[in-house]
Amino acid sequence: MLSFLIARQTGVDEPVRLRRAESTRRVLSLELNHDRDVECIHGNGINTIDIEVIEGRYMLSGGSDGVIVIYDLENNSKKPHYTCKAVCTVGRSSRYVHKFSVETVQWYPHDTGMFVSSSFDKTMKVWDTETLKPAEVFQFEGNVYCHHMSPIARKHGLIAVGTKDPKVQLCDLKSGSRIHILQGHRGEVLSVKWSPRYEHILATASTDSRVRVWDVRRASGSLFTLDQHNGDKSKASSESVNTAHDGRVNGLCFTDDGLYLLTAGTDDRMRLWNSATGENTLVNYGKVVNESRKGVKFTVSRGCSPEFVFVPCGSSVAMYGLHTGELVTMLRGHYNNVDCCEFHPDYQELYSGGKDCNILAWVPVLRHPDTEDEGAANILLKHVNPARCKKI
Amino acid sequence: MNRKRTLMPDAFRTKKRRFGADNLIGNPEHGDVQEGPPDVKATLQYLMTLFPRKLFNDSLPQIVLKHQLYSLHSDKTLVDKQVNELRDQGELLMFQLGFDSDTFALVFSVDYRAKVLAGEAGRATLGTVEKFLDKVLPCCSDLSFSKDKMLKQFLFTDAEITQLVKSGVLTVRDAGSWWLSIPNSGRFTKYFIQGRKAVLGMVKKSKYNEILKTDLEERRTTSHVKLHMKYHVHDIIGAELVECIQTTSGTLLRFVDT
Repeated sequence: MLSFLIARQTGVDEPVRLRRAESTRRVLSLELNHDRDVECIHGNGINTIDIEVIEGRYMLSGGSDGVIVIYDLENNSKKPHYTCKAVCTVGRSSRYVHKFSVETVQWYPHDTGMFVSSSFDKTMKVWDTETLKPAEVFQFEGNVYCHHMSPIARKHGLIAVGTKDPKVQLCDLKSGSRIHILQGHRGEVLSVKWSPRYEHILATASTDSRVRVWDVRRASGSLFTLDQHNGDKSKASSESVNTAHDGRVNGLCFTDDGLYLLTAGTDDRMRLWNSATGENTLVNYGKVVNESRKGVKFTVSRGCSPEFVFVPCGSSVAMYGLHTGELVTMLRGHYNNVDCCEFHPDYQELYSGGKDCNILAWVPVLRHPDTEDEGAANILLKHVNPARCKKI
Repeated sequence: MNRKRTLMPDAFRTKKRRFGADNLIGNPEHGDVQEGPPDVKATLQYLMTLFPRKLFNDSLPQIVLKHQLYSLHSDKTLVDKQVNELRDQGELLMFQLGFDSDTFALVFSVDYRAKVLAGEAGRATLGTVEKFLDKVLPCCSDLSFSKDKMLKQFLFTDAEITQLVKSGVLTVRDAGSWWLSIPNSGRFTKYFIQGRKAVLGMVKKSKYNEILKTDLEERRTTSHVKLHMKYHVHDIIGAELVECIQTTSGTLLRFVDT
């Protein structure tokens, strides 16, 4: 650590190298901390979590009971023990609450005045955070599995929506129109994601085992389909030619720089693709257990080197190295299936929600000397203030 | 959960890792996971020795499954890369056995050639098979061939293709395309599936669905298990049908319920 600081001070290393090394060390030491809690509001499983990008302070969560809760993640009390309180909720008593389970929630990417939620009651609602009333309701013919707004878009305000219908619909926030549709899939669209690098590139995953990448400005169909065998038609049986997975594809995630796309499917595999060419990088993650009938929401770390993928696997969250494919660790703590997880890039924390109605916060363990020689008192003080520990 | 030794990124790692008694290559016979870059060829040769040649009257080349390599090396991506390199160099051949789209069998090209020609000796199809082995295998490392390719690129006639299917080198995949296959490998596939089921059954029947790896290797095998026990153990670990847990008494195999 000291060598990094001195290298940075003398100009031998660029400043970002120390930051990356420390972020990676923090991500590798993620653990459940008894000092950090998230208030338990949901009465039923939690399907989706989103942390706003501007300040990283507010977290949205959507549950299977249709309830949406906003939490404040910042610790303003001077004590180390902190419970993230719910700031406001759209509960069952609200007139505008969703009738069935909320599948996806997302903050408006440019400020926290607005958020969008989509649910199995076939609607997508655009909410005003101040009054907690929907400013706009989009009605669909089938269950809405997922939606996504581009985090970098300046020229358009499109929300991509994946429903039971094989057509991907694009709803415009600025005009309220929804005439733009993307045709090409032959099954329900389980996951949609905009690229964080180019504001017009969209990836969609469907039950027909295909993942398509679109440029929404193009009038004709998708740019390309991801092929797990990279065009090597001899490897597959004839049905699985040109498919991304051998089962339903239910999870999509771009890496932070937008250069790679991760997909997860019910064939228990996760694949890493080059997002520009659609080539399968053939990183082997082994068996990534995936039994979800809906979308799987997983996330990639940001600001570390090497990057890590956090995938919900049964009742734990599995952490894999992004480019090596090795399983780093399993984060165990939930009592039931984990449905979603979200990474907080500023503090390198992971929040995961599941069927046991809990949102767990995985916090990096503070750097501390070996526990073997210290007395019990020091172990308690350590989490409070490392400077107060007696040095060995 | 308080890990005594926390995970450290490479950037902060200053201490060199301590090596065991037989260090540089590790000892595959002890089932150790190797440190350093994996030597896939050496591991393949070790796994080939586990294949029972006498059982098939020496008519089959030694077959190893690709996922058995994963049980001996921790980095699957590197193993895959090295296998693909060996295939491109022409030393290794990969086959789809047919019972699972994800399972691939690996055979050394030299072995394959020798056994196929030995099996064909004295038959009318010998000439066609030789032509196939000489023309197609060195340049094309595909797993399956379509009719187009066979007729136009390699200039085989329909009659010759029928002869190849008869001899067992090609197996029907669907109308107009064929898998590359090992002649007489049907018996191997049958024994393999039977044996895998029996070994998994042994793990399932144990108390708490778990058993120490050394215990499993020493168990008396029933008549259903015709291949070597260690062969099956590497197979179930590599295919992630059992979970491998390190304990103070050795490696524990726990059945994974899916």
